[in-house]
Amino acid sequence: MKFIHNKKGYDLHLTGNPSQQVSPRETPEFVALVPDKIPFVKPRLKVKQGSRVQLGSVIFEDKRNPEFKFLSPGGGRVAEIVFGPRRVIQQVVVQLDRDEQHESFLNCTESQLESMSRTSLVDAILKGGLWCLFREFPFGDIPRPEVQPPSIIVSLDSREPFQPDPAIYLADRVDLLAFGVKILRKLSDEVHVSLHQDNEAIAGQLKGVLTHRVSGPYPTGDAGVLLYRTKQHPHENKAWYISGQDLLLLAELIKTGKYPVERTVVLAGSLAHEKLHIRTRMGAPLKFISGETSQSPEHSRYIVGGIFRGYAAEKESFLDLYATSLTILPEGDKKELFGFVRPGLKKPTRSRTFLSSLKTSPFEVDCGLHGEKRACINCGYCDDVCAVDILPQFTLKSTLTGEVEESLAHGLLDCVNCGLCTFVCPSKIDICAILRQAKNEYYKEIS
Amino acid sequence: MKLIADIFDKSRPLFQGDGKLAKWYPLFEATESFFFIPGLTTRADAHVRDSLDVKRFMSFVILALLPPFLFGIYNAGYQSNLASGASLSPFSIVFQGVLIVLPLVVVSYGVGFFWEILFAVVRKHPISEGFLVTGLLFPLTLPPTMPLWQAAVGISFGVVIGKEVFGGTGRNILNPALTGRAFLFFAYPAKMSGDAVWVVIDKAKAGALDVLSGATPLSIAGLAGSQEKIESVLNGAGYPFLKLLLGNYPGSIGATSALLCLAGAVLLMVVGIASYRIIVGGVLGVLCTGYLLNIVALDASPAWLSLNPFHHLVMGGFAFGIAYMATDPVSAPGMDNARWIYGFFIGMLTVLIRVFNPAYPEGIMLAILFMNLFSPLLDYFAIKMKLKKRVINV
Repeated sequence: MKFIHNKKGYDLHLTGNPSQQVSPRETPEFVALVPDKIPFVKPRLKVKQGSRVQLGSVIFEDKRNPEFKFLSPGGGRVAEIVFGPRRVIQQVVVQLDRDEQHESFLNCTESQLESMSRTSLVDAILKGGLWCLFREFPFGDIPRPEVQPPSIIVSLDSREPFQPDPAIYLADRVDLLAFGVKILRKLSDEVHVSLHQDNEAIAGQLKGVLTHRVSGPYPTGDAGVLLYRTKQHPHENKAWYISGQDLLLLAELIKTGKYPVERTVVLAGSLAHEKLHIRTRMGAPLKFISGETSQSPEHSRYIVGGIFRGYAAEKESFLDLYATSLTILPEGDKKELFGFVRPGLKKPTRSRTFLSSLKTSPFEVDCGLHGEKRACINCGYCDDVCAVDILPQFTLKSTLTGEVEESLAHGLLDCVNCGLCTFVCPSKIDICAILRQAKNEYYKEIS
Repeated sequence: MKLIADIFDKSRPLFQGDGKLAKWYPLFEATESFFFIPGLTTRADAHVRDSLDVKRFMSFVILALLPPFLFGIYNAGYQSNLASGASLSPFSIVFQGVLIVLPLVVVSYGVGFFWEILFAVVRKHPISEGFLVTGLLFPLTLPPTMPLWQAAVGISFGVVIGKEVFGGTGRNILNPALTGRAFLFFAYPAKMSGDAVWVVIDKAKAGALDVLSGATPLSIAGLAGSQEKIESVLNGAGYPFLKLLLGNYPGSIGATSALLCLAGAVLLMVVGIASYRIIVGGVLGVLCTGYLLNIVALDASPAWLSLNPFHHLVMGGFAFGIAYMATDPVSAPGMDNARWIYGFFIGMLTVLIRVFNPAYPEGIMLAILFMNLFSPLLDYFAIKMKLKKRVINV
């Protein structure tokens, strides 16, 4: 086991942490696939409105590679297909039957897995619709199955606020995780499994599975940060990664032959009426997860996937394939009189310019910008928190001026989209979003 | 609060879209954002943001500038009344000080804002908070006798040529306040140097009294012969080390008190607004260079060479410059190791200019401007060094 300490980053301590309690939700009436939120995929629909589907039936495939199939998270009837601007498929909603039928896939025991060839294993995962859980660095696209990756990185916790605690989603499922790691070992010679030092409780049970223990602030524990800290040669850049919960799904698929849909999701944030872990279905409606909220929808924001990396979703929307958290925060669209000279006893900040920095109590946050956009003043705060040392203030400028070579030399492709540079920027520049966009444009150009 | 918010909300349509005053939207926006942090919300990830914005960032520099500013008022009044033989009661000192300093500050802010607003309106960008600092820094670096029209010309040059032609705050390569001062220094040397400009003498009050010399410690030190020690010459002229530290002597309005500049610098370093690397690097630069010169000094060499390095720290404008001017993040390098070098070289050049170039009694202004020009180069090499360690990813 290797220990890696990462100094750079920032832990934003917030109020409204989820309790360790896990509440099972009953089955929702509707579940959905959200193709819009699967990066790079070009969906080709395989169902029509009104089609009957089983749990695990193909809903759409990727035009770029029809082997990538996306399966129905429930059995029933396709109730609605929601198109967005330019006929982007936003949601495919399935109304669940009382007794759901499900498709069967290849299943195998541990010994069968040992003797299985790589190709037949890959085939089983592709058919089982879970190949999309693998993502490839540096762009985060779904990897081509025939490629042997230099390594596969499993991150059990990213330390972003309000994410499922590994001790909870791994409870009684440590064996399943070990089975999952065996699957990964068939796919790649190198498999890294990392856990943060803070999660001492579960670490003991994971002996033999863990390869790295990491310590330090967010985004320590992220697969990309681990890759940045461990890689020695450029060929390692194309590693694959998969999250801990996704690996459990994969293992379950291979073990049982049934398309797995159980997710442990965190509901948190100051406007969430309860803050806890929820055991629910993949693709469940956000409303169903949040229960009722006291605030009117105009002044609350539903954030799927974490306050730093997630996206703001409509209240009527559904959990996407990868989502494991729903955070509900106030919009923060209120004006504040003479805000810039207030002592700021409660203002969230990493700097030392508010009195709140003298206290250790957790902050309450909203989605306010807390200022106006200005030109970069080269303060260098973004570099202070960048865990992969890409010098955001300089890379931002080379990106905006179209100097692709320079951006790449700075390590643009190592960016893990942790969002901290954007968080700390006093000029309120969306640094992370700009870098991500540059990265995606570059990907389009080369692919 | 509701009342003020209503005033802005009611007049907003005038400044937007087809409103009559739509051109002046930057002015409206600047005024409104002075009263309110606007309730803007995040449009991209990250969804939550730090509460620190540029306005508060700059406000801290102004806060740190207040001690030298207030002392500058007192000192300008005190020196003036002393030289004019007027009353030395605290009230009349402060009154005289306000009379001297306030018009300069008002002119600096007024004229500077005129240019800011003009450029903001024409180029359609928001009025930046950076000028709040420039507008106060600039008058504090001037001699109290500065004619107001010259101050206006200086700040105009500083804002327009030092900043706006490059695109405004954040894009300038030189410190705007220092650019303005340098312009005045070379355009009107008679008003920016010599012994007569550092004290305002009220002719009516001074009457037939002998006019006291208003020489600054730097110019006195320049007169010391090679056999003399500058320290003793200064002591003889009534400028012991303590007085230099406290700052109650004639000089640029806000730059005389090294102690208060130190207090401001400590505040800025503690809250993380100014880079401690630049300030500490600058102090080290002065001490090392001063010490090295002491070592090489011969009996026959000029007295400057054997000056105690600590004297360099408290004389002239070094303390003010390194605390408030060199630490301007825009014109300083952005890389941490480059900041050390940048600070160190500013300190070193300050001493070298003082010691070897008697034509310019003060070196800090030119040292900072010179290093401003070099900061992109320093960054370039610092980045190159850092990139060497990366595993290439293309």
